[in-house]
Amino acid sequence: MLTRIVGGRIIDPANGRDEIGDIWMNDGRIVEAQVGAQADASYDAIGKIVMAGAIDIHSHIAGWSVNTARLLLPEFRLGSAPRPGATPLSSAGWPAFEIGCLYAAMGFTTVIEPAVSPHYALHAHLELADIPIIDKATLAVLGNDDFLLGLIRGKESATAVRDYVAWTLAATRSLGIKVINAGGSAAFKENAREFSLDDVVPSYGVSSREIVKTLQRAVADLGVPHPLHVHCNNLGIAGSADTALATIAAADGLPLHLAHLQFYGYGREGGRGFSSAAARLAEAVNAAKNVTIDVGQVMFGQTVTVSLDVLRQFKARNQARPRKWAILDGDANGAGIVPYDYRSADFYNAVQWAVGMELFLLIDDPWRVFFTTDHPNGAPFTTYPEIMALLMSRDLRAQWVATLPADAMAVTTLPAIGREYSLLEIAAMTRAAPARLLGLRDRGHLGAGAIADVAVYEDAPDRAKMFRSAALVFKNGALVVRDGIPTQTDFGCALEVQPERDCAMDRRMKAYYEERYGLSDDLIKVPDHAIGRPEPFELVPCKR
Amino acid sequence: MVQAWIDGMPAALSTATAAAARLLDASRQPLVAGLGTDIAGARAAVALAQRIGACVDHMNADALLRDLDVMREAGAMLTTPNETRMRADTLLLGGPGLIEAWSELPRHLFGPTSVADDRRGTERRVFWLCPGRQTGADDKVTVIGRDSGELPAVLAVLRARIKGHPTGEVSVSVQLLDELVGALKTARFGVAAWSAAALDALTIEMLCGIVNDLNATTRFSGLPLAPSDNAMGVLQVCAWMTGFPMRTGFGRAYPDHDRWQYGAARLVESGETDCVLWISAYRAAPPQWHGDPQMIALAPADARFPRSPRVHIAVGAPGRDHDSIEHCAMIGTLAAVTATHRSEALSVADAITSIVAHLSAEPLSC
Repeated sequence: MLTRIVGGRIIDPANGRDEIGDIWMNDGRIVEAQVGAQADASYDAIGKIVMAGAIDIHSHIAGWSVNTARLLLPEFRLGSAPRPGATPLSSAGWPAFEIGCLYAAMGFTTVIEPAVSPHYALHAHLELADIPIIDKATLAVLGNDDFLLGLIRGKESATAVRDYVAWTLAATRSLGIKVINAGGSAAFKENAREFSLDDVVPSYGVSSREIVKTLQRAVADLGVPHPLHVHCNNLGIAGSADTALATIAAADGLPLHLAHLQFYGYGREGGRGFSSAAARLAEAVNAAKNVTIDVGQVMFGQTVTVSLDVLRQFKARNQARPRKWAILDGDANGAGIVPYDYRSADFYNAVQWAVGMELFLLIDDPWRVFFTTDHPNGAPFTTYPEIMALLMSRDLRAQWVATLPADAMAVTTLPAIGREYSLLEIAAMTRAAPARLLGLRDRGHLGAGAIADVAVYEDAPDRAKMFRSAALVFKNGALVVRDGIPTQTDFGCALEVQPERDCAMDRRMKAYYEERYGLSDDLIKVPDHAIGRPEPFELVPCKR
Repeated sequence: MVQAWIDGMPAALSTATAAAARLLDASRQPLVAGLGTDIAGARAAVALAQRIGACVDHMNADALLRDLDVMREAGAMLTTPNETRMRADTLLLGGPGLIEAWSELPRHLFGPTSVADDRRGTERRVFWLCPGRQTGADDKVTVIGRDSGELPAVLAVLRARIKGHPTGEVSVSVQLLDELVGALKTARFGVAAWSAAALDALTIEMLCGIVNDLNATTRFSGLPLAPSDNAMGVLQVCAWMTGFPMRTGFGRAYPDHDRWQYGAARLVESGETDCVLWISAYRAAPPQWHGDPQMIALAPADARFPRSPRVHIAVGAPGRDHDSIEHCAMIGTLAAVTATHRSEALSVADAITSIVAHLSAEPLSC
């Protein structure tokens, strides 16, 4: 069906466009302008903003941890449906179905679940399959698993590591590899309570740095488009900036993505020994062109932290608000779910909020800083519209700053920053750049040949209102949202990469599972038929 | 050929599913209970319940929700059976019912560990508190206390002595308890295990509290044994589809979770429910209530009920007659299981799909 979106302001930084024009779609793809043709369906976008569907590269939306958070906090969802936002997390997208609808309402069409431990991949894909409208993908977590640590300890070849990483990607049907506090979970099982980049996992004698470097090299050599996605050691503590800086330096010019950098933006200055180090971090990121980061912005309000950094979550459990949690000493990384309430009157939380803002505003290149709240760890993804508004208006930020503890603002540089994001920069940061970072050539832009994932917004001066409810959203060329309300709820697919590997590794893994678990390694795989939807997966090409 | 019966008389499958749909359409407060099924069956059952405004409960929800209540009211540290098997050098079993819950427990957990610094197994110290008249304990196990009724008091005193607090008398000698305290504190990776089917929530909370306290200086975790009939798998499905565990009602415009109000036995015995969809595919589990509600049963062909169900559709066993996805207890997550004796038997998911096809057109609205 030939569809035309008429006369909108097309903001497509990937193709260098910011101009009034039409978008033509046919058979699920964007096509060249059809001069003289009659569209079967036509949508008026005059006076509106047209962008590609947005892409969220780091949001915890599915899997054991996310589901356990639901089970931990039923009281945050009790009550009648048309309840005003008085219930904590009532708007956060709780069941799987709501997540897809809420994301699509904001014009998001692809979301990445960034933390799937290999044994939990089947569970994660089942949950993702029940999230409507959006396309999705997972990142498989390595770096605390016995097999990899054993390979490094045994000084096995880079080829063996590559084959193991490729095997993991295939078994878990993921788009990339994530490492979360490399070695930290394994060390925690042996009673370590601190774990930094040069600390060594006792049973294996390998350091966190070695694990990160080994995985970084393997991912690059395999041609997996997405660089190694790193959750550094020492998340959330005063002085964590040093760890982030050391990790950036360790990247050695190879591509590296640092997750939720805001949680590493803390120095030790000032009376409380807690301050913003965002300026230092931003400078380092600006200088290191091989490095990309996502922010992990904190917003005030009740949320729940969901993380496979079990050491961090174990230590954080005594600050849980409300006072309860779940800590899993599982296979490899484990997990921790700790509810938390960020309060605007709290010195530390106010600094955290400012650090995220500083990172957004001080990192120059919107193609290397990515828009996330590390949902739900910094804030639910439903706060995205408010964050966009803050980035686009220094006056709005000043209003917020005026309500926050002055001593907290004094240990940051935020009050002095005047930069305002343009729509072009927002589009680069939330569309063009994520598509490129993930190797998704078919989206994040509005050029001919792209899949027809398109978001149309009212050009409202209230940018939060604008981004909260898209006027129109198209997914694969079909209308899925009108005025923020889903109009149909078909299901998207999960994107995966499958780099080449030696079959000898398959035999080796089979034997390993028999020996270690007394179980078949088929157990942990994700068969097509398990998902219960037609064509649930889509293959993304590797670079080689 | 799929077997089905209407009021005890053999019927064609399509007639039976149509009859089931008519019963559900006519019902004022339907209940989907048992829920002994695989992930696909659970997804279909929860979707059906949402559509017709039913309540959902699982036959093992009582036990499951005790563990869940402890986590969602106090917090919990958890591990998996496989991690326990491989790593736990100290095991603290609490109360009776563990071997009933996991018959393989002695084989997996009473021998040496599989993993250690030097990659050889180390001896595992096993302590069993108040096991009751337990069969299956062997000479590798140190039993402390006997009568299971003593367990709450023993745990309370044990917890206090771990923290160095003064304690009163209890049925177990102070000496023995202090030896246990010493062993627990010198554990390199200890695990406390229990079966919620045999304990109450406060006792479980005390055991979880001991685990948490021990983590002040050493590593310790907790292993609640998973109830049968894929209870853990069904729990995951309920949570991601509705935001809540089982014992949730969909009769209002929103999911309403209440472990008392939506318990199947209470709904049946009070007469609040007028039609039950009973699902038990792994075995012919008998419903645990007193009463003869109008019933649609998705259960093995040889399942027997006190009164003939209005409709009985024979279903196969997941993982035997057809491929299944279900909770794999050993690794503590969902896993794909290939059918061991593949047959033509109907799966719960397919049975529900057939029933849904006959439901009246409009989904419930309030």
